[in-house]
Amino acid sequence: MKKLFLYLAALGCMTALSSCGGRSSPKYISPDGTLDKCTIRFSWWGGDDRHEATLAALELWQQKHPEITVTPEYGGWDGWTEKVSSQISGGTAPDVMQINYDWLVSLSPDGNGFYDLELLSDQLDLSVFDDEVLSFGRMNNKLNAVTVSVSGRGLFYNSDTYKKCGVSYPGTWSQLMELGDKMSVKGCYPLDLDIQSGGTAWYLAVVYVQQDTGRQFVSMDGELGFTEEDIRMALDFYKELEERHVIRTVRERIDEDGNAALYQSPSFMDGSVGGVLEWGSSVGKYDMVLPEGVLESGPFLKNDDGNSDGWMIKPSVMYAVSKGTQYPDEAAAFMDFLLNDPECAAVLGTSRGIPASQQAEEALKKSGLLSGLAYDSDEMLSDLDAVTISPYMELPRVKEMCNSAIEKVSYGKSDTAQAAKELYTSVKEYLKKVAK
Amino acid sequence: MKNLNYRNPVGVGKYTGLLLIMPFIIGFALFTLYPFAASLILGLTDYDGIYSPEFIGTENFSDMISSSEFRGAVGVTLKYTFILVPLKLTVSLLAALLLNAEIKGIGVYRTIFYLPSILGSNLAVVIMWQFLFTSGGLVDQLTETVGLPSVGWYGDGNSAMLIIVLLRLWEFGSAMILFLNALRDIPSEYYEAARVDGCGHIRSFFRITLPLLRRVIFLNLVLQTIAAMQEFSAPYMITGGGPMKSTYTIGMLIYDEMFRFHNAGYANAVSWAFFVLVTVLVLILFAVTRKKTEEDI
Repeated sequence: MKKLFLYLAALGCMTALSSCGGRSSPKYISPDGTLDKCTIRFSWWGGDDRHEATLAALELWQQKHPEITVTPEYGGWDGWTEKVSSQISGGTAPDVMQINYDWLVSLSPDGNGFYDLELLSDQLDLSVFDDEVLSFGRMNNKLNAVTVSVSGRGLFYNSDTYKKCGVSYPGTWSQLMELGDKMSVKGCYPLDLDIQSGGTAWYLAVVYVQQDTGRQFVSMDGELGFTEEDIRMALDFYKELEERHVIRTVRERIDEDGNAALYQSPSFMDGSVGGVLEWGSSVGKYDMVLPEGVLESGPFLKNDDGNSDGWMIKPSVMYAVSKGTQYPDEAAAFMDFLLNDPECAAVLGTSRGIPASQQAEEALKKSGLLSGLAYDSDEMLSDLDAVTISPYMELPRVKEMCNSAIEKVSYGKSDTAQAAKELYTSVKEYLKKVAK
Repeated sequence: MKNLNYRNPVGVGKYTGLLLIMPFIIGFALFTLYPFAASLILGLTDYDGIYSPEFIGTENFSDMISSSEFRGAVGVTLKYTFILVPLKLTVSLLAALLLNAEIKGIGVYRTIFYLPSILGSNLAVVIMWQFLFTSGGLVDQLTETVGLPSVGWYGDGNSAMLIIVLLRLWEFGSAMILFLNALRDIPSEYYEAARVDGCGHIRSFFRITLPLLRRVIFLNLVLQTIAAMQEFSAPYMITGGGPMKSTYTIGMLIYDEMFRFHNAGYANAVSWAFFVLVTVLVLILFAVTRKKTEEDI
């Protein structure tokens, strides 16, 4: 018996060792140009507004293509990356996936992590996308994903709260700072920033510094663009927001309901927190918990000289096809439906932002659906000289480091100089490792 | 034709026993032994969980030793274990003593006490727990009623840990059942004899009950220590490991490294370090208990 266990253990070690060295080469099932009867899986994350719209779109697909059944898999953002990456790792990824921009860097650094969509052009019409939009989804010259919408984080305010406090939406950073004092009299905060998965605290601080210095936090190829002094400036800015009652401290925020998201918290629903920084493509979940028409988009903040640079855009969500799909033609046809079909576009509306597909955007325009918070915010953003966010800035480890620095400063465990030094060193080292 | 005799009445062959336990052996080899061995090998690689691993020797282990995050997670896990386990053993023993009484409807009481363990920390329970401790939640209201100041449960590291400890403490049922079974095995004659000799309840508890429960206490101690060291789901769902990593356990570190940061090689190395840590802790418990038993003899 002892021998048997030894043999099994040795076999285990050999199998594990044999997979070391060299990259795996997953096999493509080549497209055959026909649509066969099958069942494919489609996964996405989002809020209830997106879930409802997408499920309605799936019903429409089923009417048009009864032979291809699409099984939905959906949920909230928290934990979604972990779920999908373990599916990809285990070879059980859905055929079509909504993916985040940074997943291209972490899950497909050599372009072999997802299906090359240019091989599926028989089913997927890519001619309705700008070259620049398509370039967001390319890794190592392979089209791994198609951008659903290009969006940036914008400021959205609870109009009732602002009316109650007798103030208007801020247009500059100094106006934002002044609002803290004015609104605290009524027990309200002008804005909320988080250090959870959204990481909006660091995001706004980065915008502030980018506007001031003209330097990008992380470049597109993964180089740290900020100096240690820039990082300190960002942390000082954040600290001032807390001290001037513009936002709640990290502790006040956590005390309310622990790890819960802002749109589920009583403070946001009762209006005592009057603003949120959110992607135009995801703001629907905040809009849904307030009375209709209460949430409004506000201007992008400038400095006192009128400089509005530094705000950022990125492909807010993308669609990709699993590398190991058994049904590449069918997956591509379904993706084409989601991206380009005029009827589907009308059903989905702006639940994933303003469509990057010109065909879908045209369909929304014709249906009069090109309106709402996402549209207003995107329109304002398009007037600015926005920079494209580096996917490296979105990496979970980088976000974690930045959030941790903010938390230390907020709790008074580090001064901004010390926290800036640590953050500068750790981000620089990490980027050096991953952007090799 | 098999040679049938008194010792082998149905003609069992030399390998029949092995054949009968083969389903277990295959399952054990595939789902325990293989991952166990593979985990050690993967701990020696740079592996993102997606692409093939690359051998890097003991780099993950040296990174781990120099990592303040790893040391922090070990500290949090040990602190959590040292707080929870004694509390849980005490509460479950007290509950078992209560439920050992011969009163009408005792079965109902036992079921009620065991109920939280059946519910476990599923999502509904965790959400309920989360709401209990929110600002203005039920616990806050109760403390206000008795004139105590409102506590920011989630924002402070110690109280955040207390929330997790209380959730697990609430699930004392399995430890209680083991104690209850052991209590029922103690012959009532011992207590009757003690009573005749003028021994009170408290003295009987320390002189009869506790010494005779020693083995079960040790069993519970080991089981609860291992379970506490493996804590993941409660802090993951309730506090997210915060604030300031004060509830960030080794389980959460392994999960984050594996699934959030795609650092599977390092996650496997940490898993092995964790395995060694738990083993050492259990061996210490064994040694201390054996010494105590020898002293008692």
